[in-house]
Amino acid sequence: MNDPAIEVRSLVVRRAGRDILQVEDLMVRSGQVVVILGPNGAGKSTLLKCILGFVKPTVGEVRVLGNRVSPRSGISLSQLRRRIGYVPQVLAAHSETPLTVREVVAIGRTGIVGLFHRLTRSDWKIVDSWLRTLGLPDLSQRAYSSLSGGEQRKTLIAKAMVQQPEILILDEPTANLDLFWREQIVAILQGLHEDLGLTIILVCHELEVIPTCSGRLLVLRDGSVMADGRPEDVLTCQLVEALYGSRLRLVDAGGRYAAVPVGGPQRD
Amino acid sequence: MRQCPWEDHNVIDLVFWAPVICSGALAGASTGMLGTFVVGMRVPFLGVCISHAALAGAVFGSLCGLTGPMLMLPALAGAVTTALLLGMFDLQSARIDSNVLLGILFSLTMGLSFLGLGLFSVYGISDNEVRSLLWGSLNFCRWSDFAIIATAAGVELIVVLLFYKELRAILFSREHASAAGIRTTPVWTILLILTSVVLTVNFQTVGGLMIYGLLTNPAVAAFRLVRGYGKSLVCSTLFGAISGLGGFLIAATFDLPTGAMIVILSSLLIALASALSQLQAWNANRRMRRD
Repeated sequence: MNDPAIEVRSLVVRRAGRDILQVEDLMVRSGQVVVILGPNGAGKSTLLKCILGFVKPTVGEVRVLGNRVSPRSGISLSQLRRRIGYVPQVLAAHSETPLTVREVVAIGRTGIVGLFHRLTRSDWKIVDSWLRTLGLPDLSQRAYSSLSGGEQRKTLIAKAMVQQPEILILDEPTANLDLFWREQIVAILQGLHEDLGLTIILVCHELEVIPTCSGRLLVLRDGSVMADGRPEDVLTCQLVEALYGSRLRLVDAGGRYAAVPVGGPQRD
Repeated sequence: MRQCPWEDHNVIDLVFWAPVICSGALAGASTGMLGTFVVGMRVPFLGVCISHAALAGAVFGSLCGLTGPMLMLPALAGAVTTALLLGMFDLQSARIDSNVLLGILFSLTMGLSFLGLGLFSVYGISDNEVRSLLWGSLNFCRWSDFAIIATAAGVELIVVLLFYKELRAILFSREHASAAGIRTTPVWTILLILTSVVLTVNFQTVGGLMIYGLLTNPAVAAFRLVRGYGKSLVCSTLFGAISGLGGFLIAATFDLPTGAMIVILSSLLIALASALSQLQAWNANRRMRRD
């Protein structure tokens, strides 16, 4: 349970002569829920891409589930990625996407089944089971492109979960969503951790997205780790101000957090 | 004026036109099937880029003295080389969008094609054979040509069946497919090579300049009308076949250019599919209001 799921050592990613990410030492243990917080351009997505082997570090090493990520061959990297559920930041939605919701979710089983093998009935059962769990069965035959942003995020989470992953990585899963859908996504993450004990890495730049099950908060700024610890220890008004550059008041409501502007007329 | 195949119910004429009719339908079907991926992956430039690379290959092959079916070899070499270059290019490292890269390669291959065409007059060589590749010559297809088109279509069908689920995944998003542990690079490269083979082989039907329409239009029409990967593939293939066959029949009936009619008919199918799709939506809304 407490084996290291992700280890990052002396990581540097350099682009155009500038270090866009520097992480000296980072270890995420199995079963932990780690939230990576930071403003735009802090290096959050780059860190995730290093973990997934999409970005090659200039210096340093990343190990995931005991395997070194960077120099691995295509096959080994693909095998490793099958053990990681990844929900990317960018939604692949456009009017020319002919796939149904069920077909999109089935993409998660495709790598596991392997080349030259068809998805079996049990694979489709897993797909349908996750569609039910995430409340998507009525939409399963709808075109993915016709869904709302929130429904698309849920579909992508289902796609990641049908891989039966050991680690779930989400890159800003609530970006551009309204309050209703944001809370739905947070509740899903909370449920996944409670029910499956899944290791979750969640990248966001809003305090409101941090789920109560999160035991660790990693704050990135300008490509470096600014703070690392339990959310209740790390989150302070000073940190919020330092991160977002304006006077904000930190609200702690039973393990859920929010940043609200200071000043202006107050209403009860 | 050209003889219309069914004008006087002449069996000899039908025997003459049979390979043309079969080639038109099959060329449309195979290009339409391929279009599902090209349009679905939002790389429509891939069609123009590869067809111009094939054209450049054929032009320089002709300049070197190759004629007839032998022109297919340099055309294939040009198309496959471009496809492999695209497949090996690391877009992430180069930080370039795939459509921008295709645009650059398209300019290069078009430039090479027209440079080659210009060299024909410089060296005083006839460029009639190469020009027929530009505009297409479906009416001159014989059973030997049909056999080549059928072989390419057969290979395409086998590849689509073998990599059915992987192609479905990269059709959605190559990034998502890679993240799910699917080996996208070999599948993407195979798709590129397949595109180059199918487009080169079907060059002679509608021509290098218009094959782009046959690649994109049936898929766009299919996406308007049906949802789901399998249904889209079947529908796009069918629309391609209708375009190839119908375009030829209209052209033969009214003595019009065949390639142009094929592409125009495929464009009309988009309008028809859009209208049907609107009608479906309107009916669905009406049913919902009634319930």
